[in-house]
Amino acid sequence: MGRYRWLTLIGLIGFVALLPTSLVQPAVRYRAYVSNEYGASITVLDVATDAVIGTIPISGRPGEVRPRGMAVSPDGRIIYVALSDFQPILEVPEDKIVAIEVATNKVVAEYRVGSNPERVALNPEGTQLWAANENAARATGFDLETGRTLGEFQTGVEPEGVAVSPDGRFVYVTGETSHTVTVIDAKELRPVKHFLVGHRPRFVVFSQDGSKAYVSAEIGGTVSVVDAKAHRVVETISLGLDSRPVEMALSPDGKRLYVAGGGTSAVYVIDTATNRVLRTIRERMGRRPWGITITPDGRKIYTANGLSDSVSIIDPESLSVVRSVSVGRGPHSVVIGVVR
Amino acid sequence: MPKSVSLTRRQVLALGGSALFLRTLEGWAQGEALRIGAVLPSRPGSEWEARAAEALRMGLEMARDEYGENAALLGQRLDVVLREARDREAASQEAERLIRQEEVYALVGGLGGQAEALMGVAERLRVPFLNVGDPSDRLRNEGCRRYAFHLEASAAMYLDALAAWFVQAGFRSWFLVYPEGREGQALYQRARKSLLERHFGAREVGRAVVAPARPDFRPVLEALRRARPQAVLLLLGAEAQLSFLAQYEPLGLPTQVTGFPYPETQTRAFFAASRARARRAGAGYRAVLWEAKLDAYGARELNARFLERYRRPMDPSAWAGYQSVKILYEAAAFGGGPEPARVRAYLENPQTVFDVHKGIGVSFRPWDHQLRQSLYLVKVSPEAQGVWDLATLVGELPAIYRPGTDPVERLDQIGDLRRESRCRFGGEGWGATAG
Repeated sequence: MGRYRWLTLIGLIGFVALLPTSLVQPAVRYRAYVSNEYGASITVLDVATDAVIGTIPISGRPGEVRPRGMAVSPDGRIIYVALSDFQPILEVPEDKIVAIEVATNKVVAEYRVGSNPERVALNPEGTQLWAANENAARATGFDLETGRTLGEFQTGVEPEGVAVSPDGRFVYVTGETSHTVTVIDAKELRPVKHFLVGHRPRFVVFSQDGSKAYVSAEIGGTVSVVDAKAHRVVETISLGLDSRPVEMALSPDGKRLYVAGGGTSAVYVIDTATNRVLRTIRERMGRRPWGITITPDGRKIYTANGLSDSVSIIDPESLSVVRSVSVGRGPHSVVIGVVR
Repeated sequence: MPKSVSLTRRQVLALGGSALFLRTLEGWAQGEALRIGAVLPSRPGSEWEARAAEALRMGLEMARDEYGENAALLGQRLDVVLREARDREAASQEAERLIRQEEVYALVGGLGGQAEALMGVAERLRVPFLNVGDPSDRLRNEGCRRYAFHLEASAAMYLDALAAWFVQAGFRSWFLVYPEGREGQALYQRARKSLLERHFGAREVGRAVVAPARPDFRPVLEALRRARPQAVLLLLGAEAQLSFLAQYEPLGLPTQVTGFPYPETQTRAFFAASRARARRAGAGYRAVLWEAKLDAYGARELNARFLERYRRPMDPSAWAGYQSVKILYEAAAFGGGPEPARVRAYLENPQTVFDVHKGIGVSFRPWDHQLRQSLYLVKVSPEAQGVWDLATLVGELPAIYRPGTDPVERLDQIGDLRRESRCRFGGEGWGATAG
């Protein structure tokens, strides 16, 4: 028996030696980035421990310069942060997108993508930035490779949410005040459709297969389910008039949609097969969860809680808050970066 | 139909708007022109009314441009046709012309005492009318009309809010000053109700009735000195409020003075005049429908756009003008088209929700067509040099963030409830003013 054990061990060692290098590399490490709207900073958390491992100052003028929406490069290595100020009528030098390298937590680039950018999105190739320019009723596309603006496109009134379809073809921009979504063809660079959704649409997210988009409506208390091929609302999920849905995150398998219920200090969990609310998470939630994201492995959900200056960490299995972590002032959004 | 877990009243409210919207997408013909008519007073009764009318015009124009661009994206065209009228009769004629010749699908107006006349025309020709300038409770009760909707807050709402703010701040004893006549008496009675029935501990320690045209405040001031109230409420017009303040100031009494917030008394121009006439007493607390410094719920952006466009703060009448176009445009967009009957049905549907930059979905009360909404309390600055800093936002009522409570019931904390309403649309409650 002893000889067989040795043979087995030798065989295993040989098998491992023959494996492709990528399969034996250490697992990737995730970091959560939280934009602190009133602190003018980004708080960085180690997802493995949920410890704060750094704070990246964005401006020396907290309370004046406001980091809000964020996007992540396809490889997870760069975080893009939309910056503006509290004077939406003016285009100021702070109106820009900054790029933070996850490995070093340093700001490595800055881009001018129109005035008063509130949220930002990236195309799947990571070559285009799209920003919603809130004060100007415009969305701006920016080519990261050439450093040139792709175009400015009229949107509904007070654009906010912006997302690029998984095939990179369409950009959806929500108009908060006009209750609309404007669809921009990112290849032909022209608006192709404008349609009504719920009242005060804040955020839009595409399903991984690109067949659907979900649009949250804060005042309407709804999530519109959009046929992302026909650009048409096909179903409306009601969360209640006072549910105040804002940011949303889809689980990696696309089976659950997590919706941050800002003013109600709740997170709504929606089954995307039935479009029914499975659970409303309120216990131990921070106050005014505005941003929400889920780790790429689907094991943790993070909310950015604007009024409690904290992040709540939710276990997707038990659908309960398992931890709260203090971050900077006025957390707005949270995204996950990857250290490889 | 949307799917949901067991539907609560709140969910039904949200869901209704969504369902209507889905119908709209199929039903609204491309290229259809949407025309809204607005009637403004051409000869305002005072400088203050002129300021409010100017602000109203600005709000209407800004909304016309913003929603016009939005309509263009949807393949539509939106026009706001502005007309002026010197008096009520002229307002009626202009309204009729707007409906018959310009083919507007809805009317806006009501400043300068023209609301009732416009309501009459709207009712007769069956076109929705949005009152943006008259808080009279009578128009929401005996004088109510099926086609009339009130974006301007009712007197009952203003008085309930004022009573709540002041009584909760410790002002318990009140002196009420009101003008002779039916409207003055109604305001006085409603103010008493706000103080005595809704706020345990508040009491009336004196009152005075004055002639509305040339009020003589000397006996009032003498009565006030004897009564020693903690607060004085002037249920008077703009000029009379200013006149009172000028005569009151030299007395040096510590009593807080506030005035009924007619639209013309909510402008920063009026606040400046109030402070100029009475440096101390004129720098008190005022109830307003909107405040240019409101900084949440998208209000910051709206206020900023207005400031950029007109280089002046968004006075409440400007906000009302802007929201009137937004509401009527949305009623056509979400309600299935601009046919007046369809628009009216959408406006009065209790499931309909509007977003008016106040951070909570609002709706028209089905029993009197009054828009439920929050009101604001501002403090007039005694020191401010510029127009912008003349007022500071200090209160909001009802508070909109109270998770776990019904938002409709939350908003109904101020104003008359269904059981108190004397409005009977098309029924026995119609008074002599029916058009």
